[in-house]
Amino acid sequence: MNESNEAVIEFLGVRKRFGTQEAVRELSLRIPRGCVYALLGPNGAGKSTTIKMAMGSLRRDAGSIRILGREVCDDPSWVKQRVGFVGELQFIYRWMRIAEVIRFCSSFYPTWNATLCQELVRRFELDPRKKVRHLSKGMTVKLGLLLAIAHEPEVLILDEPTSGLDPLMREDFVDGILRNMCDGRRSILFASHTLQDVQRLADRVGILVDGELLVDRPIDELLRTTKTIRAVLTDEKSPRRTPHGAIVESVDRREWSVTVSDFSAGQVEQVRSQNRVESIDAVNMNLEEIFKAYVRGRRNVA
Amino acid sequence: MTIDPQSHIPVYLQIVDGLRHAIVRGVYRAGDVLPSVRELSLKLKVNPNTVLRAYEALESDKVIEKRRGSGMYVAMGGLKAAREQSAEAVLESLDEVAVQARAADMKPQGVMKHFAQAMFKVFSKEPKS
Repeated sequence: MNESNEAVIEFLGVRKRFGTQEAVRELSLRIPRGCVYALLGPNGAGKSTTIKMAMGSLRRDAGSIRILGREVCDDPSWVKQRVGFVGELQFIYRWMRIAEVIRFCSSFYPTWNATLCQELVRRFELDPRKKVRHLSKGMTVKLGLLLAIAHEPEVLILDEPTSGLDPLMREDFVDGILRNMCDGRRSILFASHTLQDVQRLADRVGILVDGELLVDRPIDELLRTTKTIRAVLTDEKSPRRTPHGAIVESVDRREWSVTVSDFSAGQVEQVRSQNRVESIDAVNMNLEEIFKAYVRGRRNVA
Repeated sequence: MTIDPQSHIPVYLQIVDGLRHAIVRGVYRAGDVLPSVRELSLKLKVNPNTVLRAYEALESDKVIEKRRGSGMYVAMGGLKAAREQSAEAVLESLDEVAVQARAADMKPQGVMKHFAQAMFKVFSKEPKS
């Protein structure tokens, strides 16, 4: 990652409400240059709302969003020139042929790189004469990525780009991003449910649940320090003292599981000394398990 | 080398481990050039920042070394360092086995006997040099 600490995308105290529902609460988040940031969250957590606000296509109620130092609402066209976007549903001009769509879109961008565009057409095996409406879902997403990156944007924003794609198409998509966007200078914000892709691409992970950012840290750190302490209770009915840093806990018969965010041997000792347990151990968790723990923990409390 | 994108082990540690094994197995020898960050990133389909992190970790462990302007090479003492670190990882996994054995309520003598037999079986198959 680039050494400079300059924020390329910065949310500060962003809030959005739909009627009585708080879709995004006090969201603050900064993405430095060269960073690939994955935003995870269950359906309806506010991911798409967050991304729409970053793209300037949805107004927020409070806070500021800066991309490359500029407030997105002050200068939307300046920002759009420098950002590439691929959404979940591709509303590309379905009646046009691929070559026509490319010609049309290229006219908006002074920085459009025709050589790169040709290379992407070849690499993605897009037939320029084909009509958009005759493309498969996978090919449509590839065309979407081509249109988002051929002007060589400094920032790429993706909303669920690979959901519903087969593994080979997903790999092509990931490859397209690695080849063209991961050069240490460009930054990426992507919302995704496809956790394999997140683990391949992300430097940093945010977990958004019910409009609140519960996690915002490097992916390696998240995987290494989130663990589940499992204790067998001497008596499942006796009161339990939960260790600090607990995200979620559950009891199944005599097994008590507590997932903690910054695991230390001290927490195991704390559980052992403050509760009557017969045995105790700690298990590692993968990204999917960590994600589910945060969602469940948040929803139990709420 | 392959990456398991669903593992609980961070991808950069999987790369560190994979390269270390490759060096111990003789895929790369002392003085050999390693794939560039970009090459390995595209081959494994992972973020180049992650590959870079793995290379930095192996460099600070003295397994590989940077040469000005021409990339990463297996260090002169790289095989020895890689062997030592792989051995450490094997011993750590034995610690884990001990914990599991206790959780399974096994008798230490039984586990040790089985392990001694397993070692004997594997090592006696080794062709004599």
